[in-house]
Amino acid sequence: MGDKIKALWRKTLWAWSPESERESSESIVKNFWLHWFPAKVARASMDWNYSFWLGTASASLLMILTVTGVMLMFYYVPSTERAYGSIKDLEYAVSFGRLLRNQHRWAAEGMVAVVYIHMARVFFTGAYRGTRAINWVVGVILFLATLLLSFTGYLLPWDQLAFWAITVGTSIAKQAPVVGPTIQFILLGGHEIGQQTLLRFYVLHVFFLPVFVLVLFAYHMWRVRKDGGLAAIEGVRHERAMAPKATPKTKSYSLFGITPGTSVQVMSSTGLEESDQVFSSPNMSRRIALVFLVVFNITLLAALLFNAPLEGLANPSVTPNPAKAPWYFVWLQELVASTTVRMGGFTVSGALLGGILLPGFLLAVLSLWPFIDRSSLRTEGRWLAPERRRQNVTFALATLAIIVLIVVGVYLRGPYWRIYWPGQPRPEMPRLY
Amino acid sequence: MDSDRRKILRFIGKGSVLAAFLGQIGAAGRAFYPNVLYEPPSRFKLKRPNDYPDGYTFVEAHRLFVIRQKEAFHVISAICTHLGCTVQWKDTEFDCPCHGSRFLPDGTVISGPAPRPLDWFATTVSPDGFLEVDSASDVARDFRLLVGKGKA
Repeated sequence: MGDKIKALWRKTLWAWSPESERESSESIVKNFWLHWFPAKVARASMDWNYSFWLGTASASLLMILTVTGVMLMFYYVPSTERAYGSIKDLEYAVSFGRLLRNQHRWAAEGMVAVVYIHMARVFFTGAYRGTRAINWVVGVILFLATLLLSFTGYLLPWDQLAFWAITVGTSIAKQAPVVGPTIQFILLGGHEIGQQTLLRFYVLHVFFLPVFVLVLFAYHMWRVRKDGGLAAIEGVRHERAMAPKATPKTKSYSLFGITPGTSVQVMSSTGLEESDQVFSSPNMSRRIALVFLVVFNITLLAALLFNAPLEGLANPSVTPNPAKAPWYFVWLQELVASTTVRMGGFTVSGALLGGILLPGFLLAVLSLWPFIDRSSLRTEGRWLAPERRRQNVTFALATLAIIVLIVVGVYLRGPYWRIYWPGQPRPEMPRLY
Repeated sequence: MDSDRRKILRFIGKGSVLAAFLGQIGAAGRAFYPNVLYEPPSRFKLKRPNDYPDGYTFVEAHRLFVIRQKEAFHVISAICTHLGCTVQWKDTEFDCPCHGSRFLPDGTVISGPAPRPLDWFATTVSPDGFLEVDSASDVARDFRLLVGKGKA
């Protein structure tokens, strides 16, 4: 009996723990969940110290967010009258509702951070050259979509943070030249924030943006494969190009596994030697599972230790003092608060300059960077290549500037958005809303 | 020529199907632009003039300040001209809690990111004796509604 169960177990799950090279290669073809992996991956691609597996961590967070998000949808009601109450229900009346919301919230904030750090890794390793430039641009769009998902997400509880974030966010949109007022009207579903607004942001958050991200994520992964794997392999490739060519082997690997018999030599898309590669199953599949479990447990731990913030019920009349955006947007708040330019009788609002033009410029430069980078291809896939020092310093300084603005916004800004140094007493503000 | 006629027919056939498809996409897009709004009117009544004390009174429901100087009334919007937060009256000036804009008692910008002064709303006394405000308007800074003792 025990042997029979063991045999059945093996029959169902052999693909996840292949016991021979043949099973390793066949698992990719015969298992649906593994079929989107290449049969073999470069050792260099899987180096923990090269990529830190940040992309996999981002994808894990996306998965956690999708599942916890769908579960929250069973209780959340996108109505201005009931939204806040349904969040309170999740917190106090639903078993583990608070845990789910906490995990959703911390995974979301984690995703913003991890996706950005993933982008920084790709930048510092110069991994966006050649055909990978397309994936860089896709990545920038995915980062933007991550921010939009966060924004539309924290609007849904219909608390003070939500209401005033919509007010400020859509007022920034209104400042866009020519089309601004129309965009604001369409986003709000009217001239004022109301039921239409909440419903629109809800549908954006639970359908349009997630589907957009999932489709783009699939394309992102497909491109990684088309580009031959991570840029880390380019270093190996450069080494191999200099080494004398090995004699071709008679046994060869196609994209999907071992090609039976002595066939035509099939070059793998990476152009790497056999010794540089390992089977995806189990070498990559196990690492992905490990990264997912680590990420999952970190978000779970955060959810157990810290509660997701929830402010008072939205009051359309009284703004909290100070009204602060979440940390990943607070640098934009600093920008819109300090970039109004006055020259004589002519005024350019900070909402346009710091809210639209400056972030738009940063995004454009970021997207076009692979096409600006003129360093030699030898820097490709190498951490902090000396030839790219100026580029890396530029990126690091821009990141540092954003972090400084975030620290100022989060820790130093007090009532009426004034600076209060640590230790300086802050006036007590009546919380009458 | 036969083939020419086919080409034209094929063009018309494919073109009309494509046009219908694009038209439907346009129609779907247009549906996002609401035609009927269930919003409060921009003209509304407040309380009677004599219900307001001298000085600055914040009317929470309409996000505005009623300012009374003896028999003279005017109404200033509490919506910051920068990004729409509600400004607060602090004895001598208006301050915004979102991005730190500061305004003089007449709504002129002192400092901060606000690009223009706070709006002044046209104010009248309705026939039944209430203050009536038009929040779609912006009147000159010397606007005062004079309410005689007998009238209110």
